[in-house]
Amino acid sequence: MSSIEAVKNSAWQQGARDALPLLGGYIPVAISFGLIAVQSGFSALETVLISALIYAGASQFLFIAMVASGAPLWLVLVMTLLINARHLVYGPNIAPYLSNSRWWPVLMHGLTDQIFALAHTRLPQLQQKDRMGWYISAALIAWGSWIVGTAVGAVAGAEITSRWPLLGEVMPFALPALFLVLIAPRFTSLQWSLTMLVTIVVALLLKLIGMTNSAIPLAALCGVSLFYLVQAKLKAEGKIHG
Amino acid sequence: MDKSLWLLMLACALGTFLLRALPLIWMRRHLLHRSISNGTEAMPVWLTVLAPTMIAAMFGVSLVPANPGISSWFATMLGGLCTILVWQRTRSLGWPVCTGVAVYGGVVVLLKMIG
Repeated sequence: MSSIEAVKNSAWQQGARDALPLLGGYIPVAISFGLIAVQSGFSALETVLISALIYAGASQFLFIAMVASGAPLWLVLVMTLLINARHLVYGPNIAPYLSNSRWWPVLMHGLTDQIFALAHTRLPQLQQKDRMGWYISAALIAWGSWIVGTAVGAVAGAEITSRWPLLGEVMPFALPALFLVLIAPRFTSLQWSLTMLVTIVVALLLKLIGMTNSAIPLAALCGVSLFYLVQAKLKAEGKIHG
Repeated sequence: MDKSLWLLMLACALGTFLLRALPLIWMRRHLLHRSISNGTEAMPVWLTVLAPTMIAAMFGVSLVPANPGISSWFATMLGGLCTILVWQRTRSLGWPVCTGVAVYGGVVVLLKMIG
């Protein structure tokens, strides 16, 4: 194997390794989605296609629930897009690390919350030539696991959840563990630590009071506001300049 | 699904894809116009603050266990603590997550056996 191939392979392997923890969170949720969609009257093929094409967890559940309840189709479309509106800030944040390849916009189909969180941390650490390989590898593993999990849920979801109920309870902890590892390096200053802590607590509280879909953007906006408030206070005290 | 539902599903899929792809295309053009070699310098500051806070918010939301209760919150706390301890030693991604899930699962199973 040449050294160039070795580098390429290592970027792909690195992407696969980095995405593996996502499976713990994706597969149980995808199985639940497959099961609920079939129980709501969708066929297994339709269910898998929804997962493959829309590929956005919360909005897929909403799509199924609203269609099953007979909601107007335009409202289903609006609500689906509103839930996914937080994705608007993901692409611009990783844009500085991407080449001018025409494939990048197409690859954004795989830019879920979790892949964004991974990419935002990992892409700056990789060399430009390795970034696309890393991204495709990580995104494909996540997308594939979502599709396979949906198919398994649609075909055998009821049996799996009754036979191994603990699996669905324990494996999703991979997601908070992964996010924790991704945000840990940010606790570098009082300003960032306060911002991150308040964001986490606000998101947690919003989720607990049932505002699951708006928790992420609202908590993030609280965090950004606090960041600027602390910055203004530090500037006023002369501790930072600019 | 009838024809209208297929069209709705395709519209939702296209809309979601555009929400992900169009902002990237816009930012790439913005960076190109500014002709700055280090793209992060050309980004609005609020956007660079928003990204880590979005990830922190994802963490906050994901902390709530599927079946909230004293045992699952206790398991979440211990799992999180072990995750961060292993991360401090390894500074890697995989091992801390594996350890966190193992500890979380172990505590959940243990507490179910006890109570």
